[in-house]
Order: sequence, then structure tokens, then C-alpha cells
Amino acid sequence: MRTVTELAGTGGPRGIFDELSKREVRRAALTAVAVPGYQVPFGSREMPVARGWGSGGLQVTLALVGPGDRLKVIDQGEDGGVNAANLRRLVVGHVGCEEETDTRRATLIQSRHRIPETPLRADQTLVLQVPVPEPLRAVEHDVREQRRMHAQEDYARMWVGLYEDLVRNGVVTKSAGYPCMVNGRYLISPTPIPRFDVPKLDQAEHLTLFGAGREKRIYAVPPHTRVEPLVFEDVPFEVEHTPGAACRHCGATASYLVEVPSMDGAVAWVCSDTDFCTRNREVR
Amino acid sequence: MNVLEIRGLVKTFTLHTIDGRTVGALHGVDLDVARGEHVALAGSSGAGKSSLLRCVYRTYVPTAGRILLRTSEGTPVDLAALPDSEVADLRGRELGYVSQFLRAEPRRAVLDVVARAGAARGMDPEAARDSAATALRRLGIDERLWAMHTTVLSGGQKQRVNLAAGTISPPRLLLLDEPVSALDPVNREAVLAMIADLTDAGVAVLSVFHDLDAIERLATRVVVLEEGRVAADGPPAAVLRDSELNLEVAR
Amino acid sequence: MSWALKVDGLGRVYGEQGPRSLPGTGPEHGTSVSPATGAVVAAWDVGFEVAPGEALGIVGESGSGKSTVMRCVAGDERPSRGSAYLSAYDDGRTDVLALDDGARRRLRIDRVAVVYQDPAAGLDLDTSAGGNIAERLTAAGGRHFGRIRERAAELLELTEVPLSRMDDPVRTFSGGMRQRVQIAKALANRPPVLLLDEPTTGLDASVAAGVLDLLRNLLERLGVAAVVVSHDFGVIEMLTRRVMVMQHGRVVETGLTDQLLEDPQHPYSQRLVAAARG
Repeated sequence: MRTVTELAGTGGPRGIFDELSKREVRRAALTAVAVPGYQVPFGSREMPVARGWGSGGLQVTLALVGPGDRLKVIDQGEDGGVNAANLRRLVVGHVGCEEETDTRRATLIQSRHRIPETPLRADQTLVLQVPVPEPLRAVEHDVREQRRMHAQEDYARMWVGLYEDLVRNGVVTKSAGYPCMVNGRYLISPTPIPRFDVPKLDQAEHLTLFGAGREKRIYAVPPHTRVEPLVFEDVPFEVEHTPGAACRHCGATASYLVEVPSMDGAVAWVCSDTDFCTRNREVR
Repeated sequence: MNVLEIRGLVKTFTLHTIDGRTVGALHGVDLDVARGEHVALAGSSGAGKSSLLRCVYRTYVPTAGRILLRTSEGTPVDLAALPDSEVADLRGRELGYVSQFLRAEPRRAVLDVVARAGAARGMDPEAARDSAATALRRLGIDERLWAMHTTVLSGGQKQRVNLAAGTISPPRLLLLDEPVSALDPVNREAVLAMIADLTDAGVAVLSVFHDLDAIERLATRVVVLEEGRVAADGPPAAVLRDSELNLEVAR
Repeated sequence: MSWALKVDGLGRVYGEQGPRSLPGTGPEHGTSVSPATGAVVAAWDVGFEVAPGEALGIVGESGSGKSTVMRCVAGDERPSRGSAYLSAYDDGRTDVLALDDGARRRLRIDRVAVVYQDPAAGLDLDTSAGGNIAERLTAAGGRHFGRIRERAAELLELTEVPLSRMDDPVRTFSGGMRQRVQIAKALANRPPVLLLDEPTTGLDASVAAGVLDLLRNLLERLGVAAVVVSHDFGVIEMLTRRVMVMQHGRVVETGLTDQLLEDPQHPYSQRLVAAARG
């Protein structure tokens, strides 16, 4: 009589991500870099986080990270958030690399909602977790039709969406995940980053890789690549900014600020990027 | 110089819906019309007068024979064999047709109908409107009717609008099929005078009239058709005197 | 080159494509279904030319192949054989039916426009009238919101749609008004060739008359080459000067429109005209 353990054999290699899967992610990432903005399919694996909770970003990170890396993971701009801390510990525990919160010292940064305030360099890589990679989903549900539209660079209906938004609301209401043209060819959804962060992707020094675990897609914005938000010539692209608002802690006015409730009902603002805010306070 | 030369024109209808029987309308007609000449077709009803006009305009497909039209460029074209699109191009500019059957254009103002006919022949739209107004005035169409749809007009009014549209920017060859049949004496006079002016201006006219008086006044030559063949051809007075048709037409 | 659109030897067979499918089909056999293979020869050996400013009609009963021809020329369907040329594309030297899907689709932006019987086929009903027109304008590279609005307004005025309704979803429009929006959208980028598939069928008589008048005026004014597919002789008579009669997938007669109505040659044409004249 054989036991279940025997039937299962000696088991695969230890760890949460085997070498073959890493290679597949790397191949997809290389293709993505070669065709900026194109969504490359990959065989997304089960991860110890739920799909839609950063499993795509995690797989890209695991495929890239080595023991010598310094990994920074942020959630809503915070290094200390629960999701960020858990993901960071998971990777560090497996790979043995260093945890990092200082943007300047990190070699690899995984994020979902923000791009750090501190400009990234050529020797740094940004991995963005993507919940919904397909920007065309807003105007077309049929997946085959979405593919056709990408293949034929037929984005007229996205423009119609923008047109309708302007007609109905007087302004473009789309805030997070604003659709962008990459290298003048493919339309991407840059994850739920605010419009504020979109210009940071354009002609950047660093490589950005987008991983969508649930949708099994990887795409990239390589360094020095044009990333242009979809805007009409006569309706300027405006990033979020509240006149007069300044960070309660560091006093910054030019960073991305988020509103915090205060006891007396007054509006208070703080930097969304905690690492930037901390260092800014030290400077002061 | 002949504008129109018809040789051996045959027209036979094959009625497929009635056991495929054939009906002959024209049996080898030869006919010439020169520049500035008004040739009136005469003959009893069913003699082939209207069929002849329609073959020339290509509303009917000629069964055999040639219909040579010398265009303003001087080249003779055979209307019987010309591709449809080229016939369509000649219509209006070279080839005009005013029918007794008033196919009034629905939902279009009187002045528009006439002006558009001119514009379709390459007239400047402004000039076309002016010419249209002149023609309508001359033909006695009350100015209050100009903005109304053609469908509200009486038979005689429609007929005159048709004539105005068919002769604005006069074609080289004008085909007239009973253009005064529905008119009262006063308006009939205006129409006949206008047609006479066209002939004087060099337009070649091939016509079918019901009344002898019009033929005598306008025609420079009369061709009598009998059962689809030319029975007589000559000056109006002589032909009409010799022909038994004389009485028939007059009544 | 006197034509804006030229079609040669167009054929569309559903089912087995080989030569075995042809014998036994066509008007003389009274069917378009191949006795040997069961294939449907929806259209075969169809050819025509349309000049700028000219409208050509295609008439026939349903199943005659007239709409198949139109769909093949429009690029909605791939023909089994044949070629088509546009004077506005590569000076008429390239067979546009042989282009890949993407290139064919781009022709629809500004070189060939189609107006379908059902406005829903040519419009997004949940988008505003202006937005539907904007689709065509942005596809052609329009990126200036103000100018897109201006051009859309101009087109709606041209097709007699009240400007007050420009920002309303097309779904809230009546059938006739939807058809006018579809026409406005088709004309957005001034295409030299316009294909009209039963443009007034399905509308109430009085509404149809209005749309027909509009089309007549537009065809006169814009100088486009038009192909009008209809089973309705009233439509054909008002809009076209030449006409092609189709039966069981074949062209049985071509002629001037008044000639077809007054002196139809083919037995089938005579039956059609007799029926229409009632």
C-alpha cells in the first residue's frame, strides 16, 4: 500500500515560484520590452496572494529579483501598509534580498497605486500591479474585438469615450488608470495610478513592467519611451492639484497629496508617498 | 448639318409576362433632323411616334438600327449602341426630352426643379435660378407658385414647368412629346412661341404634337409614320395636304 | 479614369468554393443553390463602374444577391473572387478586395462609407449623435475637440437633425432621425464613394420620404459616387440614373433607370416592374 505522500513523489523545487515559471515571465517581459505597450500573455501561476491582489506584480518581481537586490514595495504610496509589508516580507523571505523603503536606494520597486515622487534612475526597475490591463474594456466587452482594435490601432472608440465624457461632464472625469498611448502605437491602462503620476512614465530613465496576474498579461514601458495620455489638442491634460493644499507633515505642495479626516472637521492634507515625506521633513 | 441621323431603326417589344409574344413598334425608320430644324412626327396613335422619341432618348432600347447624334464636339455617336453611362452624360446637355407624361418631382419647389435642371447641365447655380425665373415668367407660371411643391400644380402648370426644366440651357437636340396637350389657349401661345425661339436659336427639334395648328406653325418639316414606317416626309403644308392624316389629326 | 468605383467579376459562394458549385445555379435554373454541392452562389460575375456624382441602383428581390454584393464591396464580407478598385485609393491601381483586414477597414474611414438599413448597424445607440460622428472624425485623426464639435454640428445641420439633440444618445431618437445621424456619420470624412443598403426600408412612409429627399439632395450636391441597393423602385427611381437587376446571384439586366422602368428587357425585370407598377 502506498501513501499519498509517495504518490505525490518527491515534489517540485521548494519555494513559491519555480525556475521554469520565472523563465516564462522573463520571456514575456522581454517581449513586452521589445513591443512597448503590447500586452504579452503569460501563464500566470497561483501565488500565495489572491489574484487581483498583486499576484501579477509579484510574479514579475520574483522573476527579476536576486539576492543582491534591494526591494521596495508600496501600497497607496506607503511602505508600511499591510499589503505592502506582507508582499515585501514574502519575497525577501524567499530570495534573501534586502528590504528597502528609501526610493533612492531601492533597485526594484513594486507598486500599485503610485509611482514614487523621487525620480527613478536607469538602474532601477518599477513593477506595477495591474488589476485590469485592458483599457478597451471601457468601450468594448468582446475580447476578440479588443484584440482587433489593438492590432489595427483602431482606438477611435476610446476617443469617443473621451468625447462623451467631455460633453456630459464638461471635463474628463477619468482619474486613475488614465489611458495612454505608448510609443505612438499601443494603448495601455497604466494601473490605478493617479493622473498625477502619468507624466512620470513619459521618457523615463527607468523600465516599468506591468503585471496582471488575474488577466495573465505582462506589458512594459521601456526607458526613454513616449507615454502620451489620450487628450484632445484643445483640452489640456490636467493632473490632480488642490490650490493651497500642503502636506501637514512636511509642507510639500508639489507632491501628490491625499486628504485626511481630522477631528475638528477641517481638511488636512498629507503626502501619499511616505518615504518622500519623511526625507522631506528631515531636510527641513 | 444633321444633328440627328436615324437609319433602319427597329423597335420590337418582347412581352415575357404575356407568353413571350412580340409587338413591333418601329420597322426600319430613316430620319434626319438638322440644326435649327423642327421636324414634327405625325400619324395616328400607335403609329410609333412616341416610341421613336423614346428610342432616341434611350428610354426604349432600340432593337436594331443606328441613331447617330452629332454632339457639340462634332463627333457622331450612335445612341443605339452607346453605353448607358455615356447616354446619361449626354442627357440634358445634348439631349433634352419633354414628355406629355408629367413625372413631377415629389416634394420639390417649382423654381428648384427648373434651376436644378440648369445646374445639372453645368450652369452656375445663381445663373440657373435667374434663367429659371425668366423661363417660368415667360411661360406664365404665377410667381406665387414658385416656392410650392410641383405636386400641387395643375396638369397644364406641370407641363410648362417640365418644358422650362427641359429647355433651360437648351440642349442640342430637343425631343418634345405632346408638350401643349394640357394647356389653355393663352398658355399654349406662350409655349409655342418659346419653342419657335429655340428652333431659331439653332436647336434641332423632333416633336409629336396632337394639334395640326401647332405643327403648321412650328414645324419646318413633317414626317408621317404609319405602322412603324415612314409614310411621308416633306414641308408641312404639302405633307399635311396630301395625307389622310390631315383630318384625323385636326379632330 | 472616369469611375470612382469599379467592380470586376465579383463572386460570393457560401459553401464549397470549387467550380463544381457553379453549374445548375443562376436565373436560367431558377436557383442559387448548387445541385452538386449544396453551396449557395449568392453572387457571381458581378461587375460595374460608378462615376463621381453618379448613383447606380441594384434591384432585385431578397436573396437576389444585391446586399451580398454591397457587403463585399463595403468590406463587411470577403468575396470568393473578383476585384474592386477605388480611384481614391492608389489611383485605382490596387484591388481593394485583396487588402488585409486592417487596410480594408481603414478604407471605411474616409474612402467608402456605408449607410445600412438598420441604423443600429452603423451607429452606437448609447452614444450621442455628436459622439457617433466623432468616432469617424477621430478615426481619421481628428484630435481637436472644438473642431470635432463644429464638424459634427455642420453634418447634423446638413442632414437636418436639430442641433439641440446633438448631445442626446441616439437611442432616444426616432427611426428617421437615427437614419439621418447614420447618414451624417457616413459623410463625416467626405468619402468619394457611398454605399446605401435599403436606406429607407423599415421607416414609415412619410418619414422615408423625408430621408429620401435628403439623400437625393445630398447626392446631387456632394458629387459622391453612390451605389443604392433597394427592392423599392420608388427609391431607385428617385436616387439613381443607372440600374442593375439581379436574380439568383447574377446580373440579368443593366440599363438607364428610366429605361428599366419603361422598357425592361429581361423576363425577370419585366415581372419586377409589373409588380412594382401594380
